[in-house]
Amino acid sequence: MPTTQSPVLPDHILGAVLFLAQKQLLEKDSTRKRLEFRVYDFKLQDIFKTLQKTHPILNAFVFTDHGPEPYSPALEESVSRLQLSGLIGRENPDYEVVFVQQTAGRFYEQVLHKELADNLADLTNVASQFLEMIEVV
Amino acid sequence: MDDSARPNLRERVNAFVKWLFTGFDPLPPRDSKVFNDALLGNLFFARHEVAVIDCPVLQRLRRIKQTGLVHYVYPSATHTRFEHSLGAAALSERCFDALLSRADIEGTRLGATTTGSDSDLAHLRMAALLHDVGHGLCSHASEQIYKLLTDMREFEKDYPGNQPGEILSHLIVESPTFQDFFQEHVVRRCQARLDLKVISKLILGQHEDKNRYFLANIVSSAYDCDKLDYIARDSYYCGLALTVDLPRFYSMISTAEYNDHKVLVLRSYVPLEQILFSKMTLYGSVYHHQKVKCLDSMLRSIVGHIADNAGQASFPVREHEAVSFNDPVHYLYATDEDFFGQIDGFGDEYVKEMLARFRNRDLFVRCLEISRSTVRNWKDGRQGYIDMNKDPIQLAAVEAEIKKRLPEGEQGKCNKDDIRLSVPGLPPISGNALIQTKAGGEIRHVEEYFPVRAWTDAYAHNKWHSYVYAPRSIADSVRDAAISVIAERFQMDIDVARSNQSCHR
Repeated sequence: MPTTQSPVLPDHILGAVLFLAQKQLLEKDSTRKRLEFRVYDFKLQDIFKTLQKTHPILNAFVFTDHGPEPYSPALEESVSRLQLSGLIGRENPDYEVVFVQQTAGRFYEQVLHKELADNLADLTNVASQFLEMIEVV
Repeated sequence: MDDSARPNLRERVNAFVKWLFTGFDPLPPRDSKVFNDALLGNLFFARHEVAVIDCPVLQRLRRIKQTGLVHYVYPSATHTRFEHSLGAAALSERCFDALLSRADIEGTRLGATTTGSDSDLAHLRMAALLHDVGHGLCSHASEQIYKLLTDMREFEKDYPGNQPGEILSHLIVESPTFQDFFQEHVVRRCQARLDLKVISKLILGQHEDKNRYFLANIVSSAYDCDKLDYIARDSYYCGLALTVDLPRFYSMISTAEYNDHKVLVLRSYVPLEQILFSKMTLYGSVYHHQKVKCLDSMLRSIVGHIADNAGQASFPVREHEAVSFNDPVHYLYATDEDFFGQIDGFGDEYVKEMLARFRNRDLFVRCLEISRSTVRNWKDGRQGYIDMNKDPIQLAAVEAEIKKRLPEGEQGKCNKDDIRLSVPGLPPISGNALIQTKAGGEIRHVEEYFPVRAWTDAYAHNKWHSYVYAPRSIADSVRDAAISVIAERFQMDIDVARSNQSCHR
């Protein structure tokens, strides 16, 4: 059947941004064990919409051009799928804090590092700006 | 045919609509009609709506079951997209009326017209009526297959936020052939001055007038008329006692200004919780039931086989050009009735045998379960495995590898389409809803009150199961081969005893 494979899945881009943000955070603060940040989904949508303006690598997250606020279903789905695949987590009981799981590091080293090698500099830049826009806890 | 010579998706959809309307030359409806619906009671439709209901685009939905292949598991679930469409139209009006009442109580103006055939209400009802005309063979079961086809993926980029079926509905409504029909039979003969552009946008959840954006929310949002109808209807026909308290819901909706848009808001998040809980239950018990996933996989076997052997196995629905399921539009030509009624299996022995399996409910069996309860190192991550849900090439490669690793004697006993790996996605739950507890008050996102999305994700993750299916005669060999392939490719430590227990083997 005439099917095609996406060059890079949006999940992988989000996974790489979160892992690289964690890496930068831990380099700055060695007392931390992982990246934990408080974020609502609508805030995350806002953040990625803003970052997308200067980083075409994020164009995999297509945003709707109608409605009262930015919304990318691909981003929403990627968050869910990264949780399903065990790369990020949220803690009970309020689920407000998102954290990066250890497995994200392994997946990054084994798959993403090679797959996204050409975009690594840009993704590192995205991660750095992302880190400034979130509420790290 | 090379790709440059191939008509584009819009043109192919128009060719399909043209084919549907071949020989259709109706008299205008004499009057309005009342339909007696098992779920919602008497539903009234105006004369111009009857003209659309009677046309082939809507009538075709009588031959497509609302819940695809679910009726093999829940025998009463034989309801169709047709009655759901009527229900959605009726519920869209009930939402609209509720907003009018709320505006009246609160001393505000809704700012939408209610009377006359060109009113906002008339557009809303028509959009709800037509919202599902893009559904094809077995509804969402085939949508999961054709959404991965190349040109659907390309086309989807222009429609972020819309499911492939919605996009096809939009393209059907915008097709020149349907526009001609609409102009003649609805606008001219029934004197209904509806704007088809507005209707086709509403189907996508859009409205160009920001002051009327709430109309788009009624057709497509976290609590739209589609969900209100299908949650009630699917649970009713499956015999599941799920409740969506519709009168309570209507009393809790209103409109508000938000970022220059007039949007639908909830006065309380409780009705939304009820809708989401019911929807999650339906996914767990019905849409993602292991036997339903098995049936979906068997459907994939048939259409995949036809697509790969288009010369010998094709669906003879059109003159000169057969349907071979390598085009999203082909799934529109084939309705459930037409497809499963092909006793001779489209001239192909494998398809004939598979259709006989459906007729006799002789289903594949579960050979292996991949889930948090059967994979010992589940916490080590499974991104590569989950990716297969979006990556048909890798999925096919894994299925082929499993077949390759069968013992030599077993390989000849099965077709390449007999081994199916089902890697379901997550239910498309959007908790994107706005709450305004009192008129004029602050508008907040529902997740600021309750972590709707994280909660539904947690529920879905714990219910998530992936299975390997195959005919019973080769199940043990397929299980062993699948364990070897999956363990090697995805570094999964599979607890075979637990998988066997769960697969009842």
